Amino acid sequence: MTKVYTRMGDGHAVEMTVDEIRADILAGTEDAADRGKIPPLSEGERDYLLDLFTFEGKIVGVVPGDEVVLTDDGSVNALYGAQSSSGVGVPISRESAIRVYERAFAMDTMEVGHPDYSFKPVKPIIALELQAMESVLHTTIIPMYYGAMPNLALYARPDGPFGNPADLLPMGKIDEARSAQEEAAEASTRDMIYVGKRMAEVGADGFNFDTTASAGDAEFLATLNAVEELARTTDLSIEVGMAAEFVLGMHGKVTYDGVRLAGLYPHQQVKLVEKAGAHIFGPVVNTNTRRSTAWNVSRAVTFVKACSEAATIPVHANVGIGVGGVPMCETPPTSMVTRASVAMVTIGRVDGL
Amino acid sequence: MDTEALLAEIRAAVLDGEPSLVKSLTEKALEAGLPALTIVSEGLTEGIRSVGVEFQKGSYFLPDLVRGAQSMEIGLEVLQPLLTGAGEEMPTHARVVLGTVHGDLHSIGKNIVAAMLKASGFAVDDLGVNVPVEVFVEKVRETEAGFLGLSALLTTTVHQQEAVIKALEAAGLRSKVKVLLGGAPIDQDWADRVGADGFAPDAARAVEVARELAGIR
Repeated sequence: MTKVYTRMGDGHAVEMTVDEIRADILAGTEDAADRGKIPPLSEGERDYLLDLFTFEGKIVGVVPGDEVVLTDDGSVNALYGAQSSSGVGVPISRESAIRVYERAFAMDTMEVGHPDYSFKPVKPIIALELQAMESVLHTTIIPMYYGAMPNLALYARPDGPFGNPADLLPMGKIDEARSAQEEAAEASTRDMIYVGKRMAEVGADGFNFDTTASAGDAEFLATLNAVEELARTTDLSIEVGMAAEFVLGMHGKVTYDGVRLAGLYPHQQVKLVEKAGAHIFGPVVNTNTRRSTAWNVSRAVTFVKACSEAATIPVHANVGIGVGGVPMCETPPTSMVTRASVAMVTIGRVDGL
Repeated sequence: MDTEALLAEIRAAVLDGEPSLVKSLTEKALEAGLPALTIVSEGLTEGIRSVGVEFQKGSYFLPDLVRGAQSMEIGLEVLQPLLTGAGEEMPTHARVVLGTVHGDLHSIGKNIVAAMLKASGFAVDDLGVNVPVEVFVEKVRETEAGFLGLSALLTTTVHQQEAVIKALEAAGLRSKVKVLLGGAPIDQDWADRVGADGFAPDAARAVEVARELAGIR
């Protein structure tokens, strides 16, 4: 029986039969439908994915006219970062890397972001970051965002002043763990608003909250509150990208607009992001390294399709290392990145990536 | 209030994670003449089982799990002296030796599994984190535990689980103890490959697996 060269979720090369790929596509969409309580892909959509994954060409693309807008989070790192950070170590500054992305790679938008990439450590070096933003704004044309992660964990001991829920929860100190997260969330919101307003003052076009809710539901709340304030007081284009497909309930009880944040999936997350006033939503669907890329892409586009259908703002799906169906490895194969991207556009109906 | 309604309230209070309410309802149930063992088996245990079900459905989260376990433990504290005094044995299903393997310092999941097991009537010897192979083996020998729980969060430390199982075999203890594995990189395939008796993806399931292996309903 003919075997198709493809990849597993950890990037490992593997040969599968067409029937095996077909079965994985079905299983992937059913898994997403079961977890998210959303519709699975139709037979026609699954057939499309089967064609995509059995096509022999290495790289695939959308048909002309279906191209989508690209936003990014920290992609300059791919140029100047070390290999262990998924970069290729080109000896250029981040400002130069941004210009290369604009002029050589034809990116639609870019962002300035500190290598540390969290809002808290940006605060004490805000003058340097403003200078970097101004410098880039003066030498580029495309819309320029400032991006970083809310990263609530940096506010907990030993990195910050508040109690650490990861210590308190196993000790059974639930009330203390919840209070610590609430206090940390308030501090985090203040920091994000501070950085956002300063960036708006120097003329940044947008602000990207990346890897949101990595520390759970309290971090999501902190972000939504910051989005609300920045949307109300600035002209920034605001993008909210998630950390995972599912909001972890490290607090379990925090709500926004009357909705409990723990346990939300992308099609539910986007409604709150819209409500807060953001302009672009970046859903994340995690890759399972032990499953094939076909399984992962089928699962990811099922979640993202439901999200796009629910959204009234543009949806820019995260399609990168370990998310959006892309294998979890330092340099994901272009064959799988392009297949995941095409599936997101054609079936996931995203507005951007 | 009839006794069935009282037991239902205890179950609901455990499910809602209300330790002080569980305490007062347990005392009320005793005053109403309910046998301590009935309160444990039809009230507290059923309550914590419902917590596990909600956790697996994704509607409960870590704090809910811990709060449920705390509620059950408080109820058990009220009943323990009475059970002992009446000559009845506390329903300790089995003794569990538990720890995170050598080279791995992660404790959160392991601690929550310990709390859930205790709340479900298991006696737990928690050896902590970064536990050398020989310490696990020695503790199993010393306590004659029926279960050994091995936690590993890193792909670089999961092989320690296999090393412990081999050391148990070498020490002639393997057939006397059931080995349960847990941790983010662990799945049933791995558990089968290294010859473990069970695997659980979370604390609620760990209790279920331990109960199944112990032959408890």
